[in-house]
Amino acid sequence: MADLTDSDVQALAKASSITIPDDLVTEVRESLNGLLEALEAIQEPDVADIQPLPIIVSATARKQEV
Amino acid sequence: MADNNLCYLSATELGEKIAAGDISSVEATEAYLDRIAQLDGNYASYITVTADRAREDARRADAEIAAGNRRGPLHGVPVAVKDQFDTAGILTTNGSSILGENIPDSDATIMTRLKEAGTVLLGKLNMSEYASGDAFRHPYGRPRNPWDTRRNPGTSSSGSGAATAAFLCATSLGEDTGGSIRGPAAFCGLVGIRPTLGLVSRHGVFGASWSMDTAGPISRTVTDCAHTLAAIAGHDPKDPQTWDVPVPDYAAALDGDIKGLKIGIVTERVHTDANDPEVRDAVIAATETLGGLGAEVSDVSLPLIVNSSEISYAIISSDAAMLNWDIISTEQLRELDHNNQVRLLMGSIVPAKAYQKAMRLREALRQQILAALEEVHALIMPASSVPSTLIPETTGLGTKADVIAGFKGRRGFTAPFNLANLPALSINCGFTASGLPIGLQIAGRAFDETTLFRLAYAYEQATDWGERRPPGV
Repeated sequence: MADLTDSDVQALAKASSITIPDDLVTEVRESLNGLLEALEAIQEPDVADIQPLPIIVSATARKQEV
Repeated sequence: MADNNLCYLSATELGEKIAAGDISSVEATEAYLDRIAQLDGNYASYITVTADRAREDARRADAEIAAGNRRGPLHGVPVAVKDQFDTAGILTTNGSSILGENIPDSDATIMTRLKEAGTVLLGKLNMSEYASGDAFRHPYGRPRNPWDTRRNPGTSSSGSGAATAAFLCATSLGEDTGGSIRGPAAFCGLVGIRPTLGLVSRHGVFGASWSMDTAGPISRTVTDCAHTLAAIAGHDPKDPQTWDVPVPDYAAALDGDIKGLKIGIVTERVHTDANDPEVRDAVIAATETLGGLGAEVSDVSLPLIVNSSEISYAIISSDAAMLNWDIISTEQLRELDHNNQVRLLMGSIVPAKAYQKAMRLREALRQQILAALEEVHALIMPASSVPSTLIPETTGLGTKADVIAGFKGRRGFTAPFNLANLPALSINCGFTASGLPIGLQIAGRAFDETTLFRLAYAYEQATDWGERRPPGV
């Protein structure tokens, strides 16, 4: 994936109804590009069937015993 | 003149002496207040010292105990808490100048519970702004590690670590979103536990990530930590994430017998070049000690654990941005620490695809950990890949390469159990050649904090690491 540019970052911010001050754009861009590249690099296990649900702790987990 | 030696007692010993009438809570409280006044200039661990409130609490505790109404093991014991928790009538800053005049009308539930346990509130402890480990600027002074004041006491419960290690409170509370209890515990040679999400109420606690925030104790001994957790744990109707499950008497289970307990060494986090060699060696030695005490030790593999840092960073940054939207969408943004400005702005524009991938990976990692915990009672690895780091001299999150390199660092050692919402404890397992503490992390099944305390207690009793004090302390 190509790195996001300053313009891309400003466009994302505009879509979120926020303004990124000019003096922070570069650092925000570098930080976001670093995060996205690191996530992209993760070889996903078989997560197609895993739902990204915000499950906190399931009752099953509570009842585990060895 | 108050007796400074009282401050060197454990919270449990102090509570027993107060109960026996050997000393009074007022005497203990005066000793701590004197010590804070004399020494905290070195550590900046307190934001607010609540001397009047402490004396009032202590007088009440002494009267109740004298009347035969002892509330429990911490009755009359002086404690301090991270400034992330609402305290009625007392300044609560969340580590930020933005909240420099914030005085809540009511207590967080955990503060109510500390009161009900009869503790004495010494004050509110310093912390990283908005509980962000990235914060550079500390408007209430830069907390310093008592083991080496050039170094970081751990984030974000930095004051909790520093104050407890410097004997400026008998036990303390911190909050752990990505490692903020275990980090300070590891860096300061203490015992800290991040409880299972849902065991301790978050009502009245400033949030950093709604799905990972957990308050818990940082203490000098395992027994102190167990008593402190027992005091604050339990269902709270004001926090829908708390579970209505019984709170065990953790301390009653601490008999030193761990024969038959099965422990898994997380190979990706122990046998890795990411670790400082002294950290790796100390953790391996600790597992051998536990094995010698009768625990059954084996290796386990959790492949996704090496990516914990970037997974949690995506989620926590986004959560924190949403929780603080009122700040980042206004001019108030500029009042935040520089690094926090960058991190929150970044978190507010993380693409949905990336966030969803992080959430899927979170669940996949959680499943790996739960599967391992079907075979063993607890997992072991370092609480941090490195000992306490030098306090940075410059601000800024760096380049893309710096950000990626940072994901391979110490946060990836605590984050897995925040992502999985499982309990994890750090206990000191030795020192580097330069005298810095090293943290052993023990993680376990949901709501099974008892097993973590049992293992930590057996280890603590078999070693003498806890007898060392920071230089000059």
